[in-house]
Amino acid sequence: MPTLGSFCLLFALALSLYSFVVGIIGVARKDRAGYVLAETARRAGIASFVAVSGAALALVWAALNNDFSLAYIQEHSNRALPIPYKLAALWSGQEGSLLFWAWLLSGYGFVLRLRHKVDQRLVATTSMILAGIQIFFLVLVTFVARPFGVNPPPIAADGNGLNPLLQYAEMVIHPPMLYLGYVGFSVPFAFALAALIMKYPGEKWIHITRRWTMVTWLFLTCGIFLGAHWAYAVLGWGGYWGWDPVENASLLPWLSGTAFLHSVMMQEKRGMMKAWNVWLIFTTFMLSIFGTLLTRSGIVQSVHSFARSSIGSWFAGDFGWTGTPWHSIPYIYPGFLEIIFGVCLWYYLKNRSHLQSENKLESLVSRESSFLFNNLVLLAACFAVLCGTLFPILSEWVRGYKITVGAPFFNKVMIPIGLFLIFLTGVGPLLAWRNTSVGSLRKNFAIPAGMAVLVGILLPFIGVSPKGDMAHFYSWLTFVLSALVTTTIVSEFIRGGRVLQGKLQTNIFGAMYHLTRRNMRRYGGYVVHFGVILVVIGVAGQAFNQEKEQEMSLGDKLTVGHYVLVGQDYSQDDNANYESQSALLDVYKDGKYLTRLDPETRIFKASRQPNHIVANYSTLKEDLYVIYEGNNPDTNHPIIKAFVNPLVAWVWIGVVVIIFGTGLALVPNAQQIRSTVPVTVGVPSVDPKGMSTAGAGK
Amino acid sequence: MKRATQILLLVLSIGLLMGSDGQAVRFQKLGDKIMCTCSCGQMLLKCNHVGCPDSAKMIGQLHDQLGDGRTGGGATETAGIAASIKPNGGNGSAGATKSDEDVLNFFRSEWGVTAVVEPSQHGFELLAWILPFVGLIAGMILLMLVVAKWKRRHAQTVTTEPTLDPHMDALRARARRETEI
Repeated sequence: MPTLGSFCLLFALALSLYSFVVGIIGVARKDRAGYVLAETARRAGIASFVAVSGAALALVWAALNNDFSLAYIQEHSNRALPIPYKLAALWSGQEGSLLFWAWLLSGYGFVLRLRHKVDQRLVATTSMILAGIQIFFLVLVTFVARPFGVNPPPIAADGNGLNPLLQYAEMVIHPPMLYLGYVGFSVPFAFALAALIMKYPGEKWIHITRRWTMVTWLFLTCGIFLGAHWAYAVLGWGGYWGWDPVENASLLPWLSGTAFLHSVMMQEKRGMMKAWNVWLIFTTFMLSIFGTLLTRSGIVQSVHSFARSSIGSWFAGDFGWTGTPWHSIPYIYPGFLEIIFGVCLWYYLKNRSHLQSENKLESLVSRESSFLFNNLVLLAACFAVLCGTLFPILSEWVRGYKITVGAPFFNKVMIPIGLFLIFLTGVGPLLAWRNTSVGSLRKNFAIPAGMAVLVGILLPFIGVSPKGDMAHFYSWLTFVLSALVTTTIVSEFIRGGRVLQGKLQTNIFGAMYHLTRRNMRRYGGYVVHFGVILVVIGVAGQAFNQEKEQEMSLGDKLTVGHYVLVGQDYSQDDNANYESQSALLDVYKDGKYLTRLDPETRIFKASRQPNHIVANYSTLKEDLYVIYEGNNPDTNHPIIKAFVNPLVAWVWIGVVVIIFGTGLALVPNAQQIRSTVPVTVGVPSVDPKGMSTAGAGK
Repeated sequence: MKRATQILLLVLSIGLLMGSDGQAVRFQKLGDKIMCTCSCGQMLLKCNHVGCPDSAKMIGQLHDQLGDGRTGGGATETAGIAASIKPNGGNGSAGATKSDEDVLNFFRSEWGVTAVVEPSQHGFELLAWILPFVGLIAGMILLMLVVAKWKRRHAQTVTTEPTLDPHMDALRARARRETEI
């Protein structure tokens, strides 16, 4: 199997090189021979997918068959590991995850190359760019981080096992989702670069990549939230987002990708921001590569220390001095990121005249400007996360030591930026394209603003007051702005529905259904915004978290919030994979029996690492989150820690709504619905004030 | 003028609301900015693993620095087992007048700069705080300048265009409204 895997990788590398080099020649030549060469390059690209798939299968086969002659399998698997986690071994280590990257990229390339008839010339150039990216990853897995590296004899009887933190069902799908997101941005990036290289007329590359980008964004979103849920359920610290550098690495392309998804509408609608969009997708792709660098190189301290190595210089380049101080020679070489940036910059400078805007912004109070501000704030958020993540490295360069930049910094910086973004989410849809009159602004804002004020006044009566510390104020403000956004979204549906209601002679819900079917992207987008608001509401609940920890023997009580936990039983277990200790706790709320929880802690035999199995009683109002911390060595009594985390369930519900909304936005529009009632167009019936915003679509 | 007074009052009241931090909240807030140095990778108030060599001492020092007269347990329910251990020495009222930054600086000097998980607000580390907002403000200014430039160009273009028929304007607007939904 190792031989087959290595051979597959070498073959895939050769095919990718062919696809890249011959692809360049084919694209450069405008004659029949060029077309034939480009076609062979396309087919080589398709074949490279088969070859990389062979390598990935060989590694999975080795994991399933406990082939510990492979160093990678010996490091990341063991005999007692359940089969699903053996499959996860493919992406649980450095070498395997790079192979996984290459496989996903070849998979995306495979689909793209099969669909080449959408635009053969554009796809030929895009395919060549994807082959170039593929070469980088195949070189890494063939020569630098080799998943098929063989252990010298004697072969170990068993492996080291998978990191216990990764032995969790969600962890089987979290990395693939995240990687599908990271890798997926290669496709719109390649299209954008191809269109720039070719000076391709029109916005066709945007129309072709619209769904690619949305699906990629969705994968990344799912990956991020699966990771958050995994952290909540496995790491046992009571939270789901710790601003860890690797978490931040996934957030960076998500933020810039979200900005791209918004600003690209400006180009489609009004032919504006062409250069901006091209650079946004370039940046998003580079941030995806940067995320892979952060995750895989270990250049920053992270709880995600599953895979670390010195491959960083392949991604980011290196510089320094070789030899002794007397005979030293300076050296500098670019990494993949610098090469990508150089190519993008070169073609931008060469062909930037192609990216002239067809229209200019006419007013600051317009939908266009709201998109601009939205982009600005998203990129400011991206920049802030990048600054905080890289500041320890910067401080090491400048001061000689790495300072710690943790959650308090990010919360202080990101919460105000996030609140401004929520405000824009509420305001943007109320503005018309080109210009918005003061009258229509007042009319459209009245209800959402009124609702926000009302919610702001009522919140202190249910215990959410701006008084107290800053966290409570932010939380209160978040709920107020959430009310603003939600009312805006609902009013957009109702207003559009009313327009159609008269035409279709149906009820308001039927009209809203037809409205959505006519413009799935726009109304799907509103559903996504609503999902984001639900997530934000869930996050705002953190300000009211409570927690308590204590030693508990049989019959002891632990009180946290409205809950009382009573120790009923403590037990120990032992199986082939781990030893465990667990507690049975009866839960009472306001004196009434509620449920029984069984938190557990496991010590994995292969690695001797502990892992908490959290017991969580989740309701829409709050989670009762209980962990078994371990035993006090002096008394041997279990230590139980309990958290009351308000509104957490809304984070996960919000994600489901985001997925649903993105799904809606991906569905093609229904055919334009013909009016069943003849409409007489007359000047007197037109309200000039209402015209500017009613139905002003994205 | 009336509106300006209302806004001023609103800002003042928000400021007063924000300024009402108690010592308990302060303890919690600062405890969440300090990292346990025992290599467990957890925040000080979250670190409660059995036999931790540092967290009990650090929590005691935090109480000392705040001068809240407590020996552990914290004002909230969070402090955990480690906090119940008596702090080693220190004057209970010594830190009563210390600012948050002073307290954090104490931990930086006592346990190393990595013990505090946010950069200090002076010297080189101030850059971490400034950069994101400088980026945002610079971006906004740039955006305003670009928009102003575009508007000027648009105004010049519009003046050269012939006056449109208002009747056609209304029809066009209605057509747009009805086709864009």
